Amino acid sequence: MDIQITGLRRTFGKVTALDGLDLAVPGGMYGLLGTNGAGKTTLMRVLAGVLPPTAGTVRVGGHDLTTRTGRLAVQRRLGYLPQDLGLYPDLSAQEFLDYVGLLKGLDDTAARRRQIGELLDMVGLTDAVGRKLRGFSGGMRRRVGIAQALLGDPALVVVDEPTAGLDPEERIRFRTLLASIAAGRTVLLSTHIVEDVAQTCRDTAVMARGRVVFNGPVADIVQRAEGITWELVGQGPPPAGGVVVSAVSRSDGTHYRLVSPTRPDPRAVPVQPSLEEGYVALMHAGTSA
Amino acid sequence: MTTARQTWAVTRYEFRMQIRKRSLWITTAVLAVVLTLTQGDRGPRHLPLGTPPREVMAGWALLMSILLPIGFGMVLADRLTRDRRLGLASLLESLPTGRGALVAGKYLGGLASTAVPAALVLLTAAAAETAHRHDPALFAWAVVAFALITLPGLAFVTAFALVCPLLTTAPLFRVLFVGYWFWGNMLNPDLFPSLTGTLLTPLGDYPATWLMGERALYAGADGWLEFLRPQPGGTTTVLAIALLLLLSLPPLALAPPLLRRRNLSA
Repeated sequence: MDIQITGLRRTFGKVTALDGLDLAVPGGMYGLLGTNGAGKTTLMRVLAGVLPPTAGTVRVGGHDLTTRTGRLAVQRRLGYLPQDLGLYPDLSAQEFLDYVGLLKGLDDTAARRRQIGELLDMVGLTDAVGRKLRGFSGGMRRRVGIAQALLGDPALVVVDEPTAGLDPEERIRFRTLLASIAAGRTVLLSTHIVEDVAQTCRDTAVMARGRVVFNGPVADIVQRAEGITWELVGQGPPPAGGVVVSAVSRSDGTHYRLVSPTRPDPRAVPVQPSLEEGYVALMHAGTSA
Repeated sequence: MTTARQTWAVTRYEFRMQIRKRSLWITTAVLAVVLTLTQGDRGPRHLPLGTPPREVMAGWALLMSILLPIGFGMVLADRLTRDRRLGLASLLESLPTGRGALVAGKYLGGLASTAVPAALVLLTAAAAETAHRHDPALFAWAVVAFALITLPGLAFVTAFALVCPLLTTAPLFRVLFVGYWFWGNMLNPDLFPSLTGTLLTPLGDYPATWLMGERALYAGADGWLEFLRPQPGGTTTVLAIALLLLLSLPPLALAPPLLRRRNLSA
């Protein structure tokens, strides 16, 4: 299910969250990176039919999201995991999924229950199926969230910051799960965690200030930092004149890695950049970095 | 057809979630016990043996209507607003379910979940009275009294308790609701201009007066808005019930756009 967005604007009073955004997502697993406040969540909400655009066109699978019929057609084939999804604390996981399934229009009781069982098995919650959701950990809640998104076998899955706040093991488990569901459908993964995109997506868009500032293969982001990524071992405070990406304290001093268009210190040596450094270079292009 | 199924789904789950709330049962039990113990000499418990079962159960239904709807209004006040508080509003908006179906289901489920404990209270009263008066017809009249006195008031209260917090907040609504309840249902209209004793009283004053054959509380008593105070009887009972049900519709019709406005502002 492809996504075509042209000149998308969304404002909230005087605040412009999306500012003439253009984006084409062909299918498969696609990343959407950006800092907090870049407009990712607003874009996700527009794509889920939750927010109408202020201006511009959004077509998903050929359906125009700005019309009621188009929005309903998309929502019937959509799985959406919002940022900070809450759950009804008095329902069990099975009941919650049954409720969402009914609201998605899955009227065949036997088929719905079979699918719920399969999804709970897939997300590793079979043992907790009858427990009330109030007792679920953050990771378990996120897994219930992805299970509800996959109900009805949607052609488009939109997931907004799904790994924020999870411990490393749960995060790896969750992104592996996301990658495994991408076959045969479009999965749009919005996150500010660069590594999640690096590990799961071939292509990504990067957003800043309501616009797309990069759209292409993840590997191309690294190129943005080539020749401007430095390592420096020092004893004092971090050097000025660049963006410090990491600082590791060792016996010989603190090893700084930083992105800077000019050599920040005579002792600094150029190094091969990582994706995170490419991302930093991209976000700071045209500024001091 | 799909909308009807989705409405039914919301009704079922809303009922299930609400009926499991401990606060609903505690509120019902506490208020029912307080009302039973504090009823005056004119209360149904003190009616002489031989009083028609119709009057006895109408008396019980009216007695319970004095305070139980306040408790139910409190409990129901967050049912539409809590989806946003719990972080579920975005998900619900992304589903191909209309807001109308969502509101209708929440209303029907909320109404059913308060009707069940209210009906159980009346049936318990009928059981106690049957043990005392040895008249099984009390159960049949409990059902009639519930349908005519209790249920229309609950339908009215449920609609406003669901929708008004979309305009204010649930805590503020609760305060205003208690004030309205005493002003519009209990305050003697002779002493202060109020809705007490009018056709718009969700207390069930008109149906109770008709079933009991004498003025139950203030139905038809002289006071403010005289045209809303006809003499109680069969016709005015039907009119009172119809008005309560009709008055429940405007807030429910307003709820979908209010809900949309609230969710879009998120």
